[in-house]
Amino acid sequence: MAQLGERGTPDISIRIGGPAGAGIKAAGQSLARTFMREGLWTMDLTEYPSLIRGGHNVITVRVGPKPFFSHAVDVDILIALDRLTVEKDGPSLVEGGAVVYDPASVEAATLPSHARGVPVQLDEIAKRNGGVIMRNTVAMAAALALLRFPLEPFESALHAQFDSKSAEVAEGNVRAAREGHAEAWKHADDFPLRLSPVPGAPERVLVDGNDAVCLGALAAGIGFYAAYPMTPASTLLHYMARHEGDGVVVKHVEDEIAAMNMVVGAAFTGARAMCATSGGGFSLMAEAFGLAGVTESAVVVGVFSRPGPATGMPTWTEQGDLQFVIHAAQGEFPRVVLAPGDRDDAFHLTWQAFNLADRLQTPVVLLGDSYLSDNRQSVLPFETARVTIDRGETITEGEVSDYLRYRDTPDGISPRAIPGVKGAEQLVNSYEHDEYGWGQEGERAEVRVQQDEKRMRKMELARTLAPAPVAFGPLEADVSIVSFGSTKGPIRDAMDELAAEGVSANFLQVVTCWPFPAREVSGFLAVAKRSLVVENNYTGQLEQLIRQECLMEPDDRLHRYDGRAFTYAQIAEKAREMVRRPARELTGVTR
Amino acid sequence: MPTVAELEQACKPTWCPGCGDFQMWKALKQAIENVGYTYERFAVVWGIGNAGNGADFLRCQGFHALHGRALPTATGIALTNPELKVIVEMGDGDGYGIGGNHFLHSCRRNVEMVGIFHNNQIYGLTTGQASPTSDQFMKTPSTPGGVIEEPVNPVGVAVAQGATFVARTFSGDVAYTQSIYEQALRHHGFAVVDVFQPCPTWNKNNTFKWYAERVYKLEDEPGYDPDSRVWAFEKSLSTFHDLTCAPDSCRLPVGVFYREEGVPTYQDRLPQLAQPMWRQARKPRDISRAMRALG
Ligand SMILES: Cc1ncc(C[n+]2csc(CCOP(=O)(O)OP(=O)(O)O)c2C)c(N)n1
Ligand code: SF4
Repeated sequence: MAQLGERGTPDISIRIGGPAGAGIKAAGQSLARTFMREGLWTMDLTEYPSLIRGGHNVITVRVGPKPFFSHAVDVDILIALDRLTVEKDGPSLVEGGAVVYDPASVEAATLPSHARGVPVQLDEIAKRNGGVIMRNTVAMAAALALLRFPLEPFESALHAQFDSKSAEVAEGNVRAAREGHAEAWKHADDFPLRLSPVPGAPERVLVDGNDAVCLGALAAGIGFYAAYPMTPASTLLHYMARHEGDGVVVKHVEDEIAAMNMVVGAAFTGARAMCATSGGGFSLMAEAFGLAGVTESAVVVGVFSRPGPATGMPTWTEQGDLQFVIHAAQGEFPRVVLAPGDRDDAFHLTWQAFNLADRLQTPVVLLGDSYLSDNRQSVLPFETARVTIDRGETITEGEVSDYLRYRDTPDGISPRAIPGVKGAEQLVNSYEHDEYGWGQEGERAEVRVQQDEKRMRKMELARTLAPAPVAFGPLEADVSIVSFGSTKGPIRDAMDELAAEGVSANFLQVVTCWPFPAREVSGFLAVAKRSLVVENNYTGQLEQLIRQECLMEPDDRLHRYDGRAFTYAQIAEKAREMVRRPARELTGVTR
Repeated sequence: MPTVAELEQACKPTWCPGCGDFQMWKALKQAIENVGYTYERFAVVWGIGNAGNGADFLRCQGFHALHGRALPTATGIALTNPELKVIVEMGDGDGYGIGGNHFLHSCRRNVEMVGIFHNNQIYGLTTGQASPTSDQFMKTPSTPGGVIEEPVNPVGVAVAQGATFVARTFSGDVAYTQSIYEQALRHHGFAVVDVFQPCPTWNKNNTFKWYAERVYKLEDEPGYDPDSRVWAFEKSLSTFHDLTCAPDSCRLPVGVFYREEGVPTYQDRLPQLAQPMWRQARKPRDISRAMRALG
């Protein structure tokens, strides 16, 4: 068991646990926001069952003065709002960690023996100042006291949150916070961890992956968003709906089939259009996803995975849909699959996805997962100055003559005149078609070949336009990791931890999963001393792509499929274990 | 503004001789000419089926969508370009079977567009299986023992579900069909037009003669009241019959069942849709306020 303060990094983790419906997530997030505003870096991890009431919810806030990339591994301070939290989360506490608990509902005897108890009359204080609902406020203030963190920032956060509702409620919360703070302060001397504000730190924002995608879509000039709620993509719909006033038509439709078909219709009028869902919804979208391919529609589709198949584990995470999105829908057509690894990627890849869709006139998938979608991290505000709009060969106004929607061209891109342009009579067609769009003609063998080749030629252009993989770490390393998507954060933290021990690791993040960047991945693997593929699934879907596209195999692999994201500790441990084994001979032979 | 001749393509119809789709094609072209849209101001979306095959034959800004999905595709068009009148052409399998869910929701959504349903009470393109509107007990390759279910009542569903213009016509009366089309095109809201369209190749039961002997015009009836939703629903029920019914015991009303003007359309309730949505993507949108809200 880890010792308190033993961790190499100077960050602290605070977990709040309690019954579903107790406002755990909101409490954790306001704690994170308080820290962020005081110049600290934060990352949340929310864990909850797919229930509105009755389950056990926890949020763990990792906070520290130096940046990090993933969630906390163990817990320094546990705020236990009920007995179940002590039982379930007690074992995650480090040796010497603190449990803030209410002696009225949790018996001291039930606390784990390796932790110290901090009794605070959570319910009593809350009731005195306005109601049990303020219990979370008391508990958070108590955690701050243990760290000797000043209370004022939290008080202003409470004012910011409640002043507009009622001055009385705001005042009550502040009083409750002060009392909780004072009570826990008595125990702070015994607790060695300290956390202080960092004055003059740059401004930051607290975002989860879905916020980042929405901001990217808004920046890109999205005009239409359609979706059917499905965890973890639902908050995209909520966010977009709140921003209809910015000039977006947002539609909660009857099913995912409608969402995808509407988005294709919206693309026909030249609107920038997107839908998003999880794997189940994308299964329903598959046919219309292919429609976007054959009709050459510029659409962006977000697929944010959770463990499948079928309903699976709605609120947990997995990277089980990589091969699915690469192959979804019957027939062959060009597509691009982009996998953001963190919130910054999610923002920038989203606006780039719209440009790619317009340049290539084909569907572009943003592939994420619950781990990225759901959890908030403090990040520097996104660099909006980098956002560009490239609509490719889209003709929105004026007149065209001798117009052919599917004109055969050297790069496969046919200029696209949208309805309203004079002379733009056309037939956009789900059937195979000729250059005009006629289905009857599309059945001729030579026309089929012409149009099929024209479409597939766009894949060549896609290879030149889609973002290249990103390399992290030294050129030469003891362990070389290849991965995609949200494993990026834990991998980067693991690299830092390993470096502190004298083990070097580097990492190639596959950003565009399709078309697969075979040249870059092959080059990276060819010079690796020990190569490792890390992926959050059972079958090794990225590794399958590497074998197929690079004709190479990695030395080892690390998979996780229990619905949880990798921790950096787990990845670091795998690397250490590999280093203990002899490195493979560099024979220069592809294996 | 295209004339009937200009609305025709070099690609010529491939429907079977005597198919009701020819008559519907004729009526639609004439209605579009009469209403007087320019090519830039209307779009047509087709589903898949023999009805959908009309996509090749009408010169316009067209979209030949998926089987069953023409309505959502059309909705995506209508909700992103307020300057387009969208016409949707579907079969009965297409619109009421596989696309039934979209039909239901399109009615309650009241998006301004016109849905034309080629109701031949059979699956034409896939060689004659029963459709959702096939009469009960009808024998087809997929129902050798006869259809067990009650047919879908599209007019009743549309009225019940809030469509603001609901009509039915018989393709055999081209002039009448055309006049119904024109009213539907001029309607501000979702217009449903169900068209009895004989399929001489596969439906040997509901033939031209069969329909002609049974249809009558609603407006000729005393008490004609298309402002009343209850009246319209009641009238929609009278279409239920069985295979052996005699013409005089099985009267099929055609005409406008229900019409409600002045109801705001879905588009009317979207202030951001004052202009085509592609205009939103001319330069990067300023997101500084949205980003600050997360600080
Ligand atoms: C998803 C899907 N399922 C099935 C089909 C095959 N299919 C094409 S048309 C059709 C039914 C045609 O009947 P209807 O919609 O009534 O139109 P009609 O041909 O009679 O005009 C079917 C089942 C398809 N194209 N797509
Ligand atoms: S099969 Fe029937 S509906 Fe299809 S074209 Fe022939 S007659 Fe018309």
